[in-house]
Amino acid sequence: MLSIKDLTIEYSSGGYVVRPIANLSLEAEAGQLVLLLGASGCGKTTLLSVIAGLLTPASGSVTVVDTEVVGLSGSALTQYRRHTVGVVFQAFNLLAALTASENVQVPLRAAKWSKAKARERAEELLATVDLSERMHHLPGDMSGGQQQRVAIARGLAHDPPVLLADEPTAHLDYLQVEGVIRLLRNLADSGRLVVVATHDDRLVPLADQIVNLTPRADTTEREPERVELAAGEVLFREGDHGDLVYMIDEGEIDLFRERDDNSEELLLRATAGAYFGELAPMLGLPRSATARAVGKAVLTGYTLRSFRKHVGGPTAGSLLEGAADAHDAAEV
Amino acid sequence: MFYIGWRDLQFRRRRFIIAILATSLVFAIALILSGVSGGFHSEISRSVDSFGAGGWVVPASAAGPFSNSKVFAPEDVASAIQGGGKVSAMAMARVPHGDKDVMVFGVEPGGIGPKATSGRDARRSGEVVVDESLGLGIGDHLELGKRFEVVGTYSGRTIFAGSPTAVITLADAQKLTYAGQPLASALLTERLPTTVPAGFKALTNAGAEADLGRPLKQATGTIDFLRVLLWLIAVGIIGSIVYMTVLEQTRDFAVLKAIGVQGRSIFSGLVTQAVVVSVASAAVAALLTLLIKGFVPLNTEISTGTYIALPIIAAIAGVASSLVGLRRAVGVDPALAFG
Repeated sequence: MLSIKDLTIEYSSGGYVVRPIANLSLEAEAGQLVLLLGASGCGKTTLLSVIAGLLTPASGSVTVVDTEVVGLSGSALTQYRRHTVGVVFQAFNLLAALTASENVQVPLRAAKWSKAKARERAEELLATVDLSERMHHLPGDMSGGQQQRVAIARGLAHDPPVLLADEPTAHLDYLQVEGVIRLLRNLADSGRLVVVATHDDRLVPLADQIVNLTPRADTTEREPERVELAAGEVLFREGDHGDLVYMIDEGEIDLFRERDDNSEELLLRATAGAYFGELAPMLGLPRSATARAVGKAVLTGYTLRSFRKHVGGPTAGSLLEGAADAHDAAEV
Repeated sequence: MFYIGWRDLQFRRRRFIIAILATSLVFAIALILSGVSGGFHSEISRSVDSFGAGGWVVPASAAGPFSNSKVFAPEDVASAIQGGGKVSAMAMARVPHGDKDVMVFGVEPGGIGPKATSGRDARRSGEVVVDESLGLGIGDHLELGKRFEVVGTYSGRTIFAGSPTAVITLADAQKLTYAGQPLASALLTERLPTTVPAGFKALTNAGAEADLGRPLKQATGTIDFLRVLLWLIAVGIIGSIVYMTVLEQTRDFAVLKAIGVQGRSIFSGLVTQAVVVSVASAAVAALLTLLIKGFVPLNTEISTGTYIALPIIAAIAGVASSLVGLRRAVGVDPALAFG
């Protein structure tokens, strides 16, 4: 149903290349409720945009019901957006001027359905989401939960096999959340693949598969790891996840960022005795720069705890300060 | 997808009503200016036609019969004209009357020249036929250097944007203007002459109209220029309203694209709004014009064609102004829907 292979998503921000998703692979089947979990900025919504055919990834493939999404264009892309995926946006994104019924009719009318047929289908869908009574109300006259259900009904207009929902519980109170969660679960149970991007862990017990896009740092204590690098060899890349802090024993390491014009901006040439890479394991963020050996280099990789012991027990705050001073704000 | 534009128009009706009112005022002023310009042109045609001449003979150096200051002995010239049929002499004078100037034409009784539509023509010395805009009736008197009795009237025969005209006998005009010498400033012919004497030229009615319109050329040019500016302002108002709508609805357009609505459908919604605003403005403007027209001191003549053309031009202006938002609306990134 959904197959994602080696997906890397990049975009440009402030002149730099940002890579929120790197080498992600994922498989999901019809009838599953898949949760994309993670902190803000980890790429959940970006991943949904790619599955919805709204964003082109840097590399990798996304196959939805035998359709390779990457590379679709023109009418094939329009047909894909209309018939294969339904999308429920964060903040509902209903058209304020249209009634609940008219909002649901939009994708149908866009696909040249007759007015009467589209109205009939909208009524049927709104009944499914228990909104028959609010059919002719404007979004402004409905509660957040009702608007969210209208948005779900709109997403189901063409009876797509895949429904994508972005933070469907973000603007709802707990009573409304319950209704929306139950609805999403029922939609999955009826044979549809439902992919939900959220940071709301109340959905976790109902999910068939959870994809954590912010992997927690490995806190397992282990012995420091000796790493030998040849000249030009890359230790880690920007966007990678990592759980080790590195100290240079011999040689030099370049820490640089990729600019969107394919050039590199050198942030720091770290020499023997310097350390780097502490923020990714400390804050659970992806690496924000690439580390590459200038010549032959020898490093030791420490877990956070063992690194603190090794350098004399600095606090997290002093590590952050040290990082800022030593790396000229190159928080890697 | 026209209905999305239409429903949005209803939803934001207050804003669109304000836009319609503002645009209709601009359209109404443009219509009034068209009417003033039209009034100038029809006044000229009407006045020239009222002479009933088929040709006009004037000195070759003159621009035409209404601006000529060179006088000549009419008998000598008339005898040398061939192919013009009946020939009549005309003398012209501008006489102050109250806060207006009266343009006085002296024509031969029974000859070619403006005829009274009420009462009778001036046949004898001391008789005058006047335009009704002077406010005189038959039996009233008009002071034109001497006291003239009104024996006939006509209406709508003004020149130079509302100056009333009067017709007296040629002999009275010669006394008034040329100290009684038997001179004329133009000859009126029944048909366009085939031959005129050396030093003279024959003009058609169109040539006479061009001469009569010369003093108003700058005024009509200015009016036409202002009219174009007003059209641009109207397009600007509609364009800015449509553009503001586009800016506000960027997210909506992204959502529409994300759920499979094509760019051209989104554009059709915008065009619907712009055309509805434009045509509604044109309709309101037509009503406003009917109300305002009476308060304009100048003769304002708006043809039915102009009233019909207005909504068509307005619709075209609406489509043009919706192009302002086209690029932004159609080019919106559907991924913004997730933003």
